[in-house]
Amino acid sequence: MNLQESYLYFILLASLLPAVIIFFIPEQRHRLRVFVNMAGTTIKLVLVFVLMAGVRQGKVYESRITLLPDMDLVLHADALSLLFIGLSAVLWFLTTLYAIGYLENSPHRSRFFGFFSLCVSSTVGVALSGNLVTFVIFYEALTLSTYPLVVHRGTPEAMKAGATYLAYTLGGGAVLLVAVVWLRILAGPLDFQTGGMLGDLVQTYPLELRCIFVLLIGALGVKAALVPLHGWLPKAMVAPAPVSALLHAVAVVKAGAFGIVRVLYDVYGVDPAAQLGVSTGLAVLAAVTILWGSLRALAQDELKKRLAYSTVSQVSYIILGAAILGPVATIGGLVHLVHQGLMKITLFFCAGNYAETLGVHHIHGMDGAGRRMPLTTGAFTLGALGMIGVPPLAGFVSKWYLGIGGLRAGQEWVVAVLVASSVLNACYFLPILYRAWFREQAAAWPEEHAGSRFEAHWMLLTPPLVTAALCIAAGVCAGSDWSPLEWVKMITEREYAPR
Amino acid sequence: MNYSVDNVLLGSAVLLPLFFAVCGLLPRMRGVAAAGTTPAGAAGLAAALCVSAESTLDLPWTVLGLRLGLDETGRTFLFFSAILWLLAGLYGRGYFRGQERAWLYHVFYAFAMAGNFGLILARDAVTFYVFFALMSFASYGLVVHNRTDFALRAGRIYIVLVVAGEVALFAGLVALIGRTGINVTLPAGEAMAASPAALALLTAGFGIKAGMLSLHTWLPLAHPAAPVPASAVLSGAMIKAGLLGWLRFLPVGQDGYASWGTFFIIAGLAAAFYGVAAGLVQTDPKTILAYSSISQMGFMTLGVGAGWMAPELWSALLVAVTVYALHHGLAKGALFLSAGIAPGGMSRWSWAGVAVPALALAGAPLTSGAVAKSALKYSAHELPGSWPAVLGVLLPVAAIATGLLMARFVVALREYHSASHGDADRRWMVPAWAALVLASVAVIWFWEPGAGFAQGTLKAGKIFKAAWPLLVVAAAGLAVYRWPPEFLTRWIGRVPPGDLVVPAEAVLLFLRRTVARAAGRFPRRAAPDLGNLVDRVASRMLGLEKSLGVWRRVLIVLLGLALLLFALSMAAAAK
Repeated sequence: MNLQESYLYFILLASLLPAVIIFFIPEQRHRLRVFVNMAGTTIKLVLVFVLMAGVRQGKVYESRITLLPDMDLVLHADALSLLFIGLSAVLWFLTTLYAIGYLENSPHRSRFFGFFSLCVSSTVGVALSGNLVTFVIFYEALTLSTYPLVVHRGTPEAMKAGATYLAYTLGGGAVLLVAVVWLRILAGPLDFQTGGMLGDLVQTYPLELRCIFVLLIGALGVKAALVPLHGWLPKAMVAPAPVSALLHAVAVVKAGAFGIVRVLYDVYGVDPAAQLGVSTGLAVLAAVTILWGSLRALAQDELKKRLAYSTVSQVSYIILGAAILGPVATIGGLVHLVHQGLMKITLFFCAGNYAETLGVHHIHGMDGAGRRMPLTTGAFTLGALGMIGVPPLAGFVSKWYLGIGGLRAGQEWVVAVLVASSVLNACYFLPILYRAWFREQAAAWPEEHAGSRFEAHWMLLTPPLVTAALCIAAGVCAGSDWSPLEWVKMITEREYAPR
Repeated sequence: MNYSVDNVLLGSAVLLPLFFAVCGLLPRMRGVAAAGTTPAGAAGLAAALCVSAESTLDLPWTVLGLRLGLDETGRTFLFFSAILWLLAGLYGRGYFRGQERAWLYHVFYAFAMAGNFGLILARDAVTFYVFFALMSFASYGLVVHNRTDFALRAGRIYIVLVVAGEVALFAGLVALIGRTGINVTLPAGEAMAASPAALALLTAGFGIKAGMLSLHTWLPLAHPAAPVPASAVLSGAMIKAGLLGWLRFLPVGQDGYASWGTFFIIAGLAAAFYGVAAGLVQTDPKTILAYSSISQMGFMTLGVGAGWMAPELWSALLVAVTVYALHHGLAKGALFLSAGIAPGGMSRWSWAGVAVPALALAGAPLTSGAVAKSALKYSAHELPGSWPAVLGVLLPVAAIATGLLMARFVVALREYHSASHGDADRRWMVPAWAALVLASVAVIWFWEPGAGFAQGTLKAGKIFKAAWPLLVVAAAGLAVYRWPPEFLTRWIGRVPPGDLVVPAEAVLLFLRRTVARAAGRFPRRAAPDLGNLVDRVASRMLGLEKSLGVWRRVLIVLLGLALLLFALSMAAAAK
């Protein structure tokens, strides 16, 4: 194994090893745990940058271990996987910092951080998977490692949400397994390939391939929270704020969306998917999800629940962009993978801050929160405006490419969906901003934790400020060489390159 | 990259206001935003005066590649906008003296200023859209600054229309440029044949800002609700951003859009007359001015429509519309600023400072208004069909109407309780106001595009032509002065500020009440209560959402089905 291959394992180990160590760290050894955590996240950040520099120059990293005869475990870093890993590395770093501050003095921290790191390792595995079999393994590992985080609080409500989560995701996992086995029998080794790996099979087995596509989307759509498979997500928001933040921005939801992108582009391929006519159905399903999620978000008074339904809606932007099957729309969809992550994690961090510092969980209790916590509310404002798609924030760039991509592909209705979604986003985000900034505080804060130097504990305050700054940077510097947009353009060029 | 002086000027016109706005957000530097409006406004003015026409500042790494530059139309817009922002900023430094929340006002002010300068300098569609959004959202803070119920309601209506405008522009821009590229250099209209849908969306999106009739409802609420210096820039500078949007994005001056031209002329005329009629029955001088702005924007809309109808006239009309914007921006700004000083702080002679811009708006001879109106009329005479005859009658009537409205404004201002509060420092306000009055009088004679028309208006015949409607006004003005406003309301009817919005709100309220009353009479279940209806829809949705939870089980069914299918296909393959 050469050094380049071993980078892939280092990246996996950078979060896997801390997970194993942390499980054995006694509860009260706070400093040691923090050190292990932060060391892991930092090392991973560095490794990801090294890999990114390599992939930029056109290198592809790959490592193969034979698992069973004729069935390999393939780790593979291309531009698309690094898009996802890059996002998860940056946000994992910040979320760990946030979680350390958030869970200070609460019980079971070793268990929490252990599974937290496991969850991230599985996410990295999902991103690095080089074939569908490897993907399934890490995808299932993600399901299992997330469950203890969802039920972390141990309240009856949390246990119930955890049961729902398992029922949905294990069901989806089983369907995924069947689909993959079926496809394996038809198509042989399932290595991801830019432009698709089906070859002539499209002519031979059109019906079977359509069935398998439906099964795959049905399975992956559970984690991606496609309507009507999204029921677990709003319930899972009973988890502690850092878990929700990571769940909604990077780990679970994105693993589903990422899987759909992989299936569409690297298993089926752009042209075969269009020939089979499966992409249009997916695009319509994504559009329905976008609107339904927003409509449901309007009806929520609990801040985290509103954000959860907003996730249902926004993640489908990615799927919509991918399913339109045109280069411009693909750019819009893929870049939203990063942009939605940055914006949504900001919003969840802030929601956690309101809950932790003021005891505010509901939107009707947010009057005057801006005066009390200007920095948090400022970050929240940027995240919310970005979600609406106000230029020049990150969300605008995605929306712009999605709209133009839809038009270019001859699907004008996409623009109408985006307009409707923007209006709905404005309807459920602007009133929150109005309450926080322009209303006077109505009553005393339910549970105010005062006494820190800043408006909140610095570990709670820094992450949302950084991610909010990234939301601005991703939009304002979208044209620069290291922006998510440029990276996604590179992926798209490779994906649509003539073969 | 070439860091020439031009580039520095272009960049600083946008970055300086942004810089001061961000500084103002820092708790220890709150005072900086107020002081910063002056250098920031001056940077805009410097760019308008010094930047040469060819230079552009390209920032390919920003957003989708921001491009700033200045053409002749942009130069005039930037010129009067910068004067307004600069002087209203100075005025604001006195106006808000001693107010606790003043710093917040100045932060929003600086953000909106950056947006306004940026959109004028924008050389491509995305840059324009970015700065347009910045200006629109930042102005919300100006509208609601007073935090009164009136201001909050105005803000609510304003933000609804801002969001509507934003999404209309998004869809319109995507439809306009989506087929050819990701972005397009401005003016966009020359490059492509636009679809009717794109034109309609862009017309409406910018029409909201420009106070186009039926999209204007935020104007008569937001302008009086905002603090005095904010009203001045809203009505003088920001409203023109809608006009500039039309000029930049619509294919005005190209063949094949005659019906759009007709639509714009009619819309313009309707706004011109409606604005006066609704304004005459108002009592608050700032509301009167807001309606006057709707009316005046109507003249500019008419100019755009004329140029669209008769493309050969467009080059002349573009100059005319630009000059009109310059004239109206400065004069209207001066009038708004006077509302913070009058009537208490005014000596007898300083009423001249109210009278001069008011006369200018009415188109009195030797004023900027006469120049602007003659420029517009000159081209209107050459329109095809019966339009010259129609406009030949309607334009003088409109001038008389405007004169009446200005008379009404002066009367209302005399009875006005000054809009500024006790601590306000007139040592900033009066000089800034006086400077704006002077600018509104003088600038038209020196500023290149205006000066050409201006000399033409000096002939004796023209002076008389401009003067006769005013003589009518003088007679009628006396009448307005003598008769109380009830006289007008009897003739026109009572028009609440915000007109169309009020019946819309009333209809909603009426529906609710009737339904609630009906609900009292009928058993609860049968009543189609509106509130109930919302509840019912919500609970229906919740029910649907819950029934979607069944999909958990469906997954299992799906799994079974998949296994079955799988087995069948394997069996088939084995055969």
